[in-house]
Amino acid sequence: MQAFLTDHRLNVGLVSPEVPLISNLPVWSNIALIRQYHENLPGEKSRALVIDLLERFGMTSIAEKRNPFLTEEERFCVMFIRAATIRDAIVCLDRPFRLLPARPGGRFFTEALQKIDDLIAEVHIFDYSREKEPYETNDGAEN
Amino acid sequence: MRTTSSLLGTLAFAAGVFLSIFDRRTYNSASRTVFIHQFYFTSVQILPLFLSVAAVFGSLINGMAFQVIKNLGLTDYLGRLLMGFVVTELAPFVTVLLLALRSSAAINAEIAVMKVNRELDTLEHFRIDLLHYLFVPRILSGMLSMIFLTSVFALVVLSVGLIVSGLIFGTGVDAYFDTLLNAADIFDIIVLLIKCATFGFFITMIPIGFGLRATRELTSIPVSVLNGMVTVFLAIIIIEVLSSIIRFI
Amino acid sequence: MARRIEFKVGLFITIVTILILASITYVAYRKDVFSIVHTYTLSSKTGENLTVGMPVAVWGFTIGKVSSLELNDQGIVLIQIKIPERHIRMIRANSKFILDKPLIGIPRIVVQTSDLGDRPLSPQAIPELTESNDINEIIKRAQPIIEKADRIMANIEGITAKLDDPEGDVNRILRETETLIARFSKRDSLLEIAIGDPESIKAIHESLRKIKEITARVDGILQRIDAMAGKTDEELYGPDGVLPQFRNILRDLLMKLAKIDTTFDNINQVSAEAVDSTKNLKGLRNELDETIMTIRNLADEIDRKIPFKTQPEIKLP
Repeated sequence: MQAFLTDHRLNVGLVSPEVPLISNLPVWSNIALIRQYHENLPGEKSRALVIDLLERFGMTSIAEKRNPFLTEEERFCVMFIRAATIRDAIVCLDRPFRLLPARPGGRFFTEALQKIDDLIAEVHIFDYSREKEPYETNDGAEN
Repeated sequence: MRTTSSLLGTLAFAAGVFLSIFDRRTYNSASRTVFIHQFYFTSVQILPLFLSVAAVFGSLINGMAFQVIKNLGLTDYLGRLLMGFVVTELAPFVTVLLLALRSSAAINAEIAVMKVNRELDTLEHFRIDLLHYLFVPRILSGMLSMIFLTSVFALVVLSVGLIVSGLIFGTGVDAYFDTLLNAADIFDIIVLLIKCATFGFFITMIPIGFGLRATRELTSIPVSVLNGMVTVFLAIIIIEVLSSIIRFI
Repeated sequence: MARRIEFKVGLFITIVTILILASITYVAYRKDVFSIVHTYTLSSKTGENLTVGMPVAVWGFTIGKVSSLELNDQGIVLIQIKIPERHIRMIRANSKFILDKPLIGIPRIVVQTSDLGDRPLSPQAIPELTESNDINEIIKRAQPIIEKADRIMANIEGITAKLDDPEGDVNRILRETETLIARFSKRDSLLEIAIGDPESIKAIHESLRKIKEITARVDGILQRIDAMAGKTDEELYGPDGVLPQFRNILRDLLMKLAKIDTTFDNINQVSAEAVDSTKNLKGLRNELDETIMTIRNLADEIDRKIPFKTQPEIKLP
């Protein structure tokens, strides 16, 4: 996985406990930060963009919440959206069940992916072979 | 040996931060947001407390000092006392102490917590430069806050001085302003502004530097804050001494 | 929330920036930072006591400062002074530039302009900076006054001798007047009867008037010297200094004049035998006139050499 990250480091968006949300920023800032920094997108515009993305997940209510106050599912979705806001994003899910101990079915990932499909170029899921079953697809990458 | 290396490390970090201030990449929407929030927490949120402190402190200092110079027959030195001591020495000193107690400690703890929580890794993963996004806006905010709050302090104390000198010496508004103007020196004002900016730079840069020294352990946070605040205090003393040397020698 | 923070921060920055800029601009304006500054060059044989930033003053007010010092090929020190536009009318072609080294305080360049209506000093002109040293200057000025005071003392001594001598003019007059009292005690205008010469009476009255006038002037000068002595250097104004000695002389003089004044008052109240008294009084009047003349000259000399009139009190720097 490290090699993959290095190869695609310009547009890879990692979803992992090793890349947590910033706890002193609200959810919308965590997501907006990427485009604000790299594209100098004004605060209001980036906020509108984030609200739009959260709406796709039905989570606009969490826009002003901070990391410690999110549920596991909400936290995962926020991290997923954040990873997708990179231009031509290659979203990389690193052992996603560490973020989702409730272990939702593979459909959860597919639905999430479909909601922001327009932003994402590629999605890669890295997990142990033994964890293959919950994912609906059979071609998941192995670490 | 360890102290020297620590000092050199701090100076090297300061140089890096200083150069980043002039880097165009520092100025983007994200950094601006950080700057505005930091400035709000450092300068605006503290304003009611700060104004109260300035008014109380100004009344006390002016009352005592004016009474003493009146008793000693040194009323000619009223302007010099106000401009040379209250404005150029006392105002920045009280301000820097308040900001160091409040904001420096908060910044140190914040950076240390981010380090422990691996949030700094997050920024690095998304190719967000820590200097540009996290440090420089905070340092600029500290510099500007110092200048602004010192000016506010000086204005409040001078306004209180007008009332106090009117009560003690019977000085009119025009005479009071003339006294201040005669004692005012552009060079002193420039030194004051530079001193404030330097104070602001170091009381934010040092806590950031010490926050980064925290490890992954939660227990490293208080140690980092403790060391950072002691160094901030030493930096304040050193800057105060250096500015006095520049002004009086 | 974010917009409210932005608004508060913006408002605070705007207000404080305006206050800071307004304050700095006002101070700079009052300090002539924005005004046009004229540069003049002075020359001096020595750079001693000259420093960059030294004030240039007119009548005690600072109007500019020394901006640079330079030694040219001829070994002359060139001093550049900067004078703001609003003070430029003080710098005329007739202006004299004096390096003033006060007893206490920093040296400064004093500009003395006798005629403000004269043409302005050309920036190309290089007037010479002369030097003034307070102690030496005052001692130099005081020397002729002391000499003159010595001569006055000699005259006063003469008068005093006559007052003290039982056979002297004044005492003889007094004795004669005492005799006259008995004879003409009830008559008016006794002096006229005693002298019998209207011209002599007029002259004596004139002398008396002059003594009073001069006494008042000398007394005034003494008061001013007292005020000055209280504020200056012990060496110059101490118990053995120049001015206290001079002050003592003048006090002595005043005391003696007061005696003469009293004598004449006594004469004015008595009668005398006309012919004898007239002769004696005429002689005394001549001596008195001479003394008065000398005192008047002295008073003028003091006023001329110590500039009390333009500077009522010598101020410490």
